[in-house]
Amino acid sequence: MEMKPMKLLTEWTYEPTKIHRGYSKETLYIGLGNKDGKYSFEKRPVSEDMIEKFTGGRGFGLRLLWNAVKDGTKWNDPENEIVIAGGPFCGITQYPGAGKCYTVFLSPATKQTYNSNAGGYFAPFLKFSGFDALELQGKADRPVVVFIDGDNFKVQIFESTLEDINAYYVSEELHEYFSNNGADKHTISVVSSGIAARTTYCAGLNFSFYDTRRKAARLKQAGRGGGGTVLFDKNVIALVVKRTHFTGNENDVADLDTIQKIGVSLHKRIHDNDDKQCKMRSVGTAHLTEIMNDYELLPVDNYKFGHHKDIDNISSHAYQKLFTQGMADGCWYGCSLACAKAVDHFPLQTGPWKGKEVVVDGPEYETAASLGSTLGIFDPLWTVEANFYADHYGLDTITIGTGGAFVCECYELGLINKEDTHGLELNFGNKKDIMELIHRVASGADDFAIACGKGIAEAREYFAEHYGADLATMKKIGMEGQGLEVSEYRCQESIAQWGGYFLTLKGPQHDEAWLIFMDMVNKQLPTYKDKAEALFFFPCLRLWFSLQGLCKLPWNDIEPADNGLKYKGIEAAKVPEHFKNYIDIYTAITGRPLTPDGLILQSEKVYNFERIFNLRMGRGTSAYHEIPDRALGPVWEDEWNSRPEYFDEKLKEFGVDISGLSVKEKIAALQQNRRKQWEDLKMAVYKRRGWNKNGIPTMETVKRLGIDYPDVVELLKKHLKPEDEFEA
Amino acid sequence: MKIMQINAEKCVQCGACMSACSSAWFKEDSVDLSRVKVETVTGLPHFNICSQCGACMAVCPTQALERDANGVVQIRKDKCVACLMCVGFCPSASIFFNAEKQTEPFKCIACGICAKKCPTGALTLVEVKG
Amino acid sequence: MITVNGVETQWNDGLTVAQLLAREKFTFKMIAVWIDDSVVDKEYYATKTIPDGANVQVIHNISGG
Repeated sequence: MEMKPMKLLTEWTYEPTKIHRGYSKETLYIGLGNKDGKYSFEKRPVSEDMIEKFTGGRGFGLRLLWNAVKDGTKWNDPENEIVIAGGPFCGITQYPGAGKCYTVFLSPATKQTYNSNAGGYFAPFLKFSGFDALELQGKADRPVVVFIDGDNFKVQIFESTLEDINAYYVSEELHEYFSNNGADKHTISVVSSGIAARTTYCAGLNFSFYDTRRKAARLKQAGRGGGGTVLFDKNVIALVVKRTHFTGNENDVADLDTIQKIGVSLHKRIHDNDDKQCKMRSVGTAHLTEIMNDYELLPVDNYKFGHHKDIDNISSHAYQKLFTQGMADGCWYGCSLACAKAVDHFPLQTGPWKGKEVVVDGPEYETAASLGSTLGIFDPLWTVEANFYADHYGLDTITIGTGGAFVCECYELGLINKEDTHGLELNFGNKKDIMELIHRVASGADDFAIACGKGIAEAREYFAEHYGADLATMKKIGMEGQGLEVSEYRCQESIAQWGGYFLTLKGPQHDEAWLIFMDMVNKQLPTYKDKAEALFFFPCLRLWFSLQGLCKLPWNDIEPADNGLKYKGIEAAKVPEHFKNYIDIYTAITGRPLTPDGLILQSEKVYNFERIFNLRMGRGTSAYHEIPDRALGPVWEDEWNSRPEYFDEKLKEFGVDISGLSVKEKIAALQQNRRKQWEDLKMAVYKRRGWNKNGIPTMETVKRLGIDYPDVVELLKKHLKPEDEFEA
Repeated sequence: MKIMQINAEKCVQCGACMSACSSAWFKEDSVDLSRVKVETVTGLPHFNICSQCGACMAVCPTQALERDANGVVQIRKDKCVACLMCVGFCPSASIFFNAEKQTEPFKCIACGICAKKCPTGALTLVEVKG
Repeated sequence: MITVNGVETQWNDGLTVAQLLAREKFTFKMIAVWIDDSVVDKEYYATKTIPDGANVQVIHNISGG
């Protein structure tokens, strides 16, 4: 049924600025009022200082959000914003992975800043409409759809008439609604969430692009941190942008010739090597399942185990058969890595759309593991179904998978029972009841489902208070940090990856550093100093992508065939030739020179600013860098007994005499020794990052980086204590 | 469909084909701007001309590459966003680009201008079953 | 005995690179194998034998998941 016409509540016309060398140097502010229907619009200039210190993308988002909120602002206060920004690379079509944007907001899950990235066409179209960033503040007095008309240079706010707020419905309807008789749906991009945004803290944002071959809206997720929850709290059902005409040089770059030559060389490399390397074009990131299984890194049953006998069921071969092959599956023009895989004509077995045939985006590796092995489920069709509904409802697949696995273990341990779950038998692998839990969490069906949707950190408090579950036990097994659920890699056996996950800005998400092979397999980081260096360098390198509007995958999920032969040691892991591509393209876009050190410095400024922002929001100190026991090693006997010789050996390496020790005693001893290593790692990392022992950037660090703004200095003065200083 | 047929043994490597092509389409006599390429490799001519196989059509994200009524693969400039994926994925590396002239790539469209200028008949425009 | 990424491990006469990779379950594709500081080309994995006492490095070249 066609949606009813929407009533225009307000509109604003603007004079667009042409993009020059990657920037329009203007941002768009949309104020939704405070449930009073008072809308406001503004074009805001981007200063040279903002470009120099914050570069773009996530940097711009953090700067704008800092200005928008007060010290005590909560995620659901009207001052909180959703800021969406690409960056200078965003929208170029010649190099793979240049359509990304970062969404920055105060998170309901982590109670501090969060930033989550997505592909799709929204960010490039927003930029081509004349804006380097979009700020959305306030709360609408009724459900609205915000439309940025980049063809006619207008912003319009409509009263929503959408009957359903779930993502696939909203996206399909709005692509139709704003298109010219359905012929130009690919010129539109929609940002939406879903019903999970009403009660959960883990609702993500779905960014669409229209697939002209499949004739369907495809969705890419800025899934993590609860951005969808914030959008819904603002009473915004969807953001829509339309931009019909653009050229291959909309960014008006300084040197197109260089970008074209570098881009073609990578396209050619992907054409030649992808099948032999990561199979991104045929399987996408799901190629990782069997590899992670082989290295004991696949999370099985809430991260208790690292492999499973049924791995073949969810291997890359299984997914390759499900994914439609030979499609141009890039989520922005020019992405020849084309990892945005899809299952076509999938008949849904459960839920509100039971019986309907749909196009399912993914699953990617994270989802294949989170809505799969972590829950003890090895059935790709179940995973595809769960993936569809998670996206449709706006549920973040990582959070719901890791969170669900925690709930299953609580159930198996008897911490919660069938009465508490309102009849669900939540044993690992119980596909029927776990699927039902997903539906219930999304709809906020009952108190238990609502508690689960708030994430592990809040759910366990609820379980303790209402069901008498033991909090200490739940803290050992709940795979979360800073209020965020861990993504899908087991990190127990890599000290560096403890830091890669738990010494991060926003919580255990793998977008800062993935050091497991380098540390655990290659043994290239033998000392704490080595690990700290890697935990300085790689987070900065990867943060840089978030400043530019870039995807990380074309950096190291494709390599020159001789990368490992030409470069030795850690140098090879940097993929030097691709690193150089980024530097050369940055200069070719912006006309600004950049050195390798300068690249890291751009990131370091934003890395430290974000850390200080979290301090401002009442977090951002050592106390919030916590790690659960399960991330350090086995918690229960069955985990130890799955690899007894291995763990015995590990314990002996600490000089522990294991003779006569029970498994329980061995576990306690290993945990104790590893926790000491964790503390040592933390101090080494803080020191390398230019922070004090409490994890706060020092005055010297902010001065060196040029982010010593008066309010930053004032904040630091309040928190920097002499007793926390490192000895020189 | 129409393709350029190569008769390598007749080629005297005079370069007339490339001059004709680039002059016709870019108003400039330049090997770089020619859509047919004949290089000398160890004294022998090496031809690089699109065979109209259509592999590029599958990788194009905007479906800007289409087969026309004559079976010739054409780049529709109004649809092209100049990502150059077709260039990187062409099995014979027969699609070219030059940022100074235009943002979009260019390729042989079997127009036959080169064949008309070829003094020896090394290049001919022929109709083959597609 | 040989060392593989710094860890002492079993050696047998005629042990090839491919056999070692299979034994250690090193199934990741983007790897580089070095024997006593000289790199082994992928096409020789099946035939290249590892001498006793060799220092083998199997470098997994990924740093991001």
